[in-house]
Amino acid sequence: MSGDPIMTDVPNSPADDTALNEQLERVNRQLLQSEKMAAIGQLAAGVAHEINNPIGYVYSNLQSLDRYLVDMFRLTDAIGSASTQEELEELKQSIDYEFLRGDLEDLVAESREGIERVKTIITTLMDFTHADEEEFKLADIHWGINTTLSVINNEIKYKAEVVKDFGDLPLVSCIISQINQVILNLLANAAHSIEGFGKIIVRTRHESNYVVIDVEDTGKGISQEHINKVFDPFFTTKPIGEGTGLGLSLSFSIVEKHNGRIDVTSTPGKGTCFRIILPIGTSDTGRCS
Amino acid sequence: MIKIQLVDDEPNILKALKRLLKAQGWEVDAYDNVDDALGGLLAHDYAVIVSDYLMPAVDGVTYLQFAKQRRPDAMRLVLTAHGDRQSVIKAINQAEVYRYLTKPWNDYEIVAAIQSAVELHQLVRENHRLLQTVATQKAMLQAREQELQRLEAEHPGITQVLRDTEGSILVGDDS
Ligand SMILES: Nc1ncnc2c1ncn2[C@@H]1O[C@H](COP(=O)(O)OP(=O)(O)OP(=O)(O)O)[C@@H](O)[C@H]1O
Ligand SMILES: [Mg+2]
Repeated sequence: MSGDPIMTDVPNSPADDTALNEQLERVNRQLLQSEKMAAIGQLAAGVAHEINNPIGYVYSNLQSLDRYLVDMFRLTDAIGSASTQEELEELKQSIDYEFLRGDLEDLVAESREGIERVKTIITTLMDFTHADEEEFKLADIHWGINTTLSVINNEIKYKAEVVKDFGDLPLVSCIISQINQVILNLLANAAHSIEGFGKIIVRTRHESNYVVIDVEDTGKGISQEHINKVFDPFFTTKPIGEGTGLGLSLSFSIVEKHNGRIDVTSTPGKGTCFRIILPIGTSDTGRCS
Repeated sequence: MIKIQLVDDEPNILKALKRLLKAQGWEVDAYDNVDDALGGLLAHDYAVIVSDYLMPAVDGVTYLQFAKQRRPDAMRLVLTAHGDRQSVIKAINQAEVYRYLTKPWNDYEIVAAIQSAVELHQLVRENHRLLQTVATQKAMLQAREQELQRLEAEHPGITQVLRDTEGSILVGDDS
């Protein structure tokens, strides 16, 4: 970079270089962080939907349970005070005891299911963000993809069927939360590109010392004039206020940091395929700075 | 009996709502997909339709637009976990929904909203019925009027009664 002839009038002593590089590094980190926050913000809407559903029926079931209990207590209270067996039978009939019994069991089972679902959503969300994990570690890429898929599922299930075509992958040395972030961006873009209902294929395979991850969609594709710009920061075709245009540029820098590559091929009107190539890099830890 | 249609892709939501609404004495049909729900519209005369918003393939507002064409008198309500402004605007402007409710809900809120929808539905029905009565009676009056005109044309004066100064009826055409 320092040998660039166009830059000759810019003074760049080695000292300046380090300062600039540090600054660049800092800005990059900030960008990464803000993109992460933006992604979480977007997810929040989808997650709210996914959580409000189970909370909705569990809450309503509790209110029904309240009513059922009133009837049940009327019966149990009567056990002491009723003078005849018939009187109890009558009360049993009037509160529709048989129905209550059966429905109470269902009510509890369904409510438990709802709470389990909320629990799963929260756990996946935490797995996904991996809060402060910033270290290279051996990680299972498929686990990352699956976690990401379940986090974003609420948003794509209405737009596309997701097909997983997974090969056998070794563990990969990477910052898995960042790789998740890249997958998330690609999935979100794929879902956005689909008008109506389409298909998203996530394909993985292992080749000598690297792994390949494809995210392919049947969306509207990218035109010839745009395809070279999609990795540029702030390039977006979304309306103002909807996209920051940072998703792909951040994904690019994450993959670059992993010494990998990210490429795109697209046919307008048919679909797009983003390909990530990541070195497995088990023996080589020198590049982790 | 008053019939309510529920549409939601989440079966547990349907079960919870059924629990609640059946206790109010309403007949409740629950559908977990839009195709079947559309079929249900043909077979039943629902007073109220409560639909989810986000569903696979077709969203709730689009469904309610269909429902509006098939059953214009059925009151339309949205119950959704996805309360963004866009969907509210769509629901109001495109499907003319009566209420837009959000999950999680309070049971009494849902019951009150449906109750008032049912009342409005009954008012609309009553209004139709009264209009119908007015129309048939108007038709009857018109037929009678025409008959009178025909008679008058055939026998001028026949539809009028002539009286003398004392009030006696005059017969004959020496007027
Ligand atoms: N799968 C895809 N199909 C079609 N176009 C795509 C696809 N992925 C990206 N693009 C194009 O590339 C642009 C840039 O994508 P990028 O993810 O960087 O930003 P964005 O999606 O517009 O905004 P943000 O990710 O911040 O919400 C998009 O606006 C879109 O035009
Ligand atoms: Mg994007």
